[in-house]
Amino acid sequence: MPAFPTYGPEDIAALDEQAAAMLAVFAARGYTRHEPAMLQPAQIFVDRSGEEIRRRTFELNDPSGRELCLRPDLTIPTCKWQVESGAPYPARLCYHGLAFRHRSGDGPTQFYQAGAELLGVDDRAAGDVEMMTVAVGALRAAGLRNFEVKIGDLALFATLVDALDVPAQWRGRLKRHFWRSGYFETLLTRMVVGAASDAERAIDALHGLKPAELRPAIEALLDKEGDAPLGLRTREEIIERLTIQASDGAAPKLDAKVAETIKSVLDVSGPAPAALEQIRILTKSVAASMAKPLAAMEARLAALADLGVDPKSVRFVAHFGRNLEYYTGFVFEFWSRDESGPVEIAGGGRYDTLLESLGAPRGTTAIGCAIRSERLLAAARRGK
Amino acid sequence: MSEPLTLAIPSKGRLKEQVDAHFAAAGVALKQTAGARGYRATVEGLSGIDVMLLSSSEIASALVGGDVHLGVTGEDLIRENAPELDGRVALVKPLGFGFADVVVAVPRSWIDVSTMADLDDACAAFAQRHRRRLRVATKYTQLTRRFFAHAGISDYRIVGSAGATEGAPTAGTAEAIVDITTTGSTLKANGLKILEDGVILKSQAQLAMSLTADWTETMRASAAAFLKRLGAALPN
Repeated sequence: MPAFPTYGPEDIAALDEQAAAMLAVFAARGYTRHEPAMLQPAQIFVDRSGEEIRRRTFELNDPSGRELCLRPDLTIPTCKWQVESGAPYPARLCYHGLAFRHRSGDGPTQFYQAGAELLGVDDRAAGDVEMMTVAVGALRAAGLRNFEVKIGDLALFATLVDALDVPAQWRGRLKRHFWRSGYFETLLTRMVVGAASDAERAIDALHGLKPAELRPAIEALLDKEGDAPLGLRTREEIIERLTIQASDGAAPKLDAKVAETIKSVLDVSGPAPAALEQIRILTKSVAASMAKPLAAMEARLAALADLGVDPKSVRFVAHFGRNLEYYTGFVFEFWSRDESGPVEIAGGGRYDTLLESLGAPRGTTAIGCAIRSERLLAAARRGK
Repeated sequence: MSEPLTLAIPSKGRLKEQVDAHFAAAGVALKQTAGARGYRATVEGLSGIDVMLLSSSEIASALVGGDVHLGVTGEDLIRENAPELDGRVALVKPLGFGFADVVVAVPRSWIDVSTMADLDDACAAFAQRHRRRLRVATKYTQLTRRFFAHAGISDYRIVGSAGATEGAPTAGTAEAIVDITTTGSTLKANGLKILEDGVILKSQAQLAMSLTADWTETMRASAAAFLKRLGAALPN
């Protein structure tokens, strides 16, 4: 598609028909349609998606200088509406509208997205099943017969890191970067060698102190810097981080066997039932902790089977994180194929911290799915 | 009469003086036309070159945009406009002056942060605690995005800074900065320190060639003659 597409009468009719079919599936499950404004304050995306999304966002200023953008996605404004309207939970919201993203090279600057958000259902397993059902239902209603499902779970890896013997100061790093192939391997290697402890000689000054002595010592080090600015970062944050590092000891190292376990788990990728079994075997040493997230994954596969999707055809990818956005747990994608190769048609996942960041009560759960309408239309037309 | 190629040089300040001296020493002195305050010049002894005096940042974007053929400006500004140079600009000759580093600097009071990996941890913790992203003030948006992406940091946001970037943390408009520095003394005076692995670019004044401008054979010949005097050659 060209960068600034013009939709012709046949495409418009086909897209409208497809949209109606998908929205009917959403409506039948109790989802109500809301259409957020196309022009939005840039702030709400920037603060939640970081520079990667910002790089692709069309930003502009209104005449008074306020920073606006053309919405790069509809999930955030939809969730924002939910929070600001004070509407009750659980909430089932859906949409179909344009999203705008810059792509380097050729490619459309806008595309239609159909999507659904399930907010505030505390039973996560039930929420996962419902979202799978709604997504598969919408794709099929649009005429898509064959598709490949790819699944992952950020929480599964996070559980593993928490269960294994990893220096506390590095748990966050491992969880944040597990999906960054290349970078992650380097990180692991440095941790095994012990070269990843980067804190300044401040740590040397804290070495060997008893817990009760730690805080005053850190405060003293901070006071030495006089009235150097802090920005919005607080003294507490610095003290907290140094305390964790000090408790790891002067030269923490990641046990080579633990690193091996982590690496081998992240290498797991393939038909889901076998992949989960493989993970079960690899994580035998922490089986008790892994039982719950693995069972949750099995339940999702069972739900897909009930929907007529053979679990053996589902690809489980351990390092699949979709971390460029706001996902925190179960993530999934639906793929088709065209002449040039695989095409992602839809994707989504659980993003349990987004609503709180928009002002909702702490712990408000969220899971959603977004379908790329033009791609779906092309795939359905290919008879696939 | 064929069109001359355009050469853009800085219009004022120390950089202009250094360029003038460097060119004069190489036997390609610049002669300002239309009075001493004018913004046009020619190269003594070489025809076919139209010299324009612009600001350093205008030169960088003109090179990338193909509005001038040759130009002298800081590598930091060129790469900010075209990070990989992208086949749009070729660096023909580093000129050996105008040295400065583009660096990541954080408050000295962040005694727990001394590397980009530490900053990564701090950003993640900050986002969780404050429910907003840590702010990095800079005018180098492109350079910053690339460098932070390479370091695996995504939990931050850039706040634009037109000038006095180093004052942003004190003013409370950002937590960290990416700025250009020569001696580092301004950073220090503002209570900031450079991260151990936080040097994004070691910059200097560069003579650069636009690959997107319209080049004729005559222009290439003029450029080649000019560059030869400076001990350089047209790339490819």
